[in-house]
Amino acid sequence: MREEQKRALEQFLAGRAGASAVRIDEAHLLSGGAIQENWSLTATVTGGRYDGILECVLRSDAPSGVAVSHGRAQEFALLQVAFRAGVTVPEPLWSGDASVFGREFFVMRRARGTASGHRLMKELNLGGDRELLVERLGEELARLHAIRPPVEGLSFLRVPTLSPALQGVEDFRRFLDGHHTAFPALEWGLRWLERHAPETPERVLTHRDFRTGNYLVDEVGLTAVLDWEFAAWSDPLEDLGWFCARCWRFGQFDKEAGGMGSREALFRGYARVSGRQLTREAVFYWEVHAHVRWAVIALQQGERHVSGQEPSLELALTAHVVPELEMEILNMTGGRHA
Amino acid sequence: MREQPDGAALLAIASEVLRKELLPLLPGDKVYAARMIANAMGIAERQLRQGEGPQQEEQQALAALLKTEGALEALTREFAARIRRGEFDEDVEARRLLWESTVQRVRESAPKALVGRSSGP
Repeated sequence: MREEQKRALEQFLAGRAGASAVRIDEAHLLSGGAIQENWSLTATVTGGRYDGILECVLRSDAPSGVAVSHGRAQEFALLQVAFRAGVTVPEPLWSGDASVFGREFFVMRRARGTASGHRLMKELNLGGDRELLVERLGEELARLHAIRPPVEGLSFLRVPTLSPALQGVEDFRRFLDGHHTAFPALEWGLRWLERHAPETPERVLTHRDFRTGNYLVDEVGLTAVLDWEFAAWSDPLEDLGWFCARCWRFGQFDKEAGGMGSREALFRGYARVSGRQLTREAVFYWEVHAHVRWAVIALQQGERHVSGQEPSLELALTAHVVPELEMEILNMTGGRHA
Repeated sequence: MREQPDGAALLAIASEVLRKELLPLLPGDKVYAARMIANAMGIAERQLRQGEGPQQEEQQALAALLKTEGALEALTREFAARIRRGEFDEDVEARRLLWESTVQRVRESAPKALVGRSSGP
């Protein structure tokens, strides 16, 4: 972080915190995040209600991003709505514009813990009792899904006329039509999604990237649900399908809830808060959807490298997850030829 | 005549040096990058070993299914468009081709995904 950015940020924080002075003692860039940049900040606040040491994270756009994700001001609004609804998220503090930091950003309290899916698969002490953790995640989703439109501050979220299922089919097909290469197995999956599309009686606020890797845990349990930039009004089962999808189990395929625990525990937690009993059959549609959606996102990320705009080994390799996603789609939809 | 060892063999031995000799010495925050490099080299090596044979077979099978001639890229596009129109919903031969061409790509990009499945690599 450049000195002048730091100075401007200190002024900004002092103003928002109602403090006589703020000094940033420590700032370092956190790893991860192809779409945004996260800075860990430790600041000394003098005066006002935040007087003392403030540990927080500043989240800003990275130089390049995915077009479908929200900007930081919008993500901040989503975080506020989720926080007020009792979802376990980092407490949103303040959002600021480009005049302060060069790019739009917001500041939230720093939550403790680890998100890395690969670490969670290896270090079984993390997250506390895994069945309890997964149950808790079901409760979190149910709390989020209690939010229905309209909500003040979220008017930037579109309310499409098509059902969420058919809207997905249309969006993915539109992307494939503009892509330089055809993907017959994805088309097969999309045809299945079209023919089996469920009605959505009521749209709710969905996270749309709720999976292992996007929540923090410590040794005891959940500390925060992260990464709200894809949230939208959709079918609540979309979040459950994304969480349970085989491609997000980090190799622990028998632990159907995100590679972490049983599907039954997740559904139990969800039912406790929402009163809704989930069925495996209803969620299955959204697991197929999850594979197609992840394949489309992987193609978009790979294209950032292929197009020459942003040479990156990580993005280049992301394109190579598409074949195994397609194989799983065929497996799930009767497209497998024994 | 090209020199021996060829490209695939060079990638194989280079990857072994990377994984066995360099990886254990790298600081923790560089391990991920080294693993990505090994993964990329593996994909390139498998593509070289497979050669163009599978692509040619796929092109011929698609031409027969679609009853039209053309390059693989154009045939694939046509196949995709007709799947979308529902023309192959119940077609066993189309399903066989789709499955085999997908498994072929998995063999190159992510062969571990085939382990434990009935169509092994």
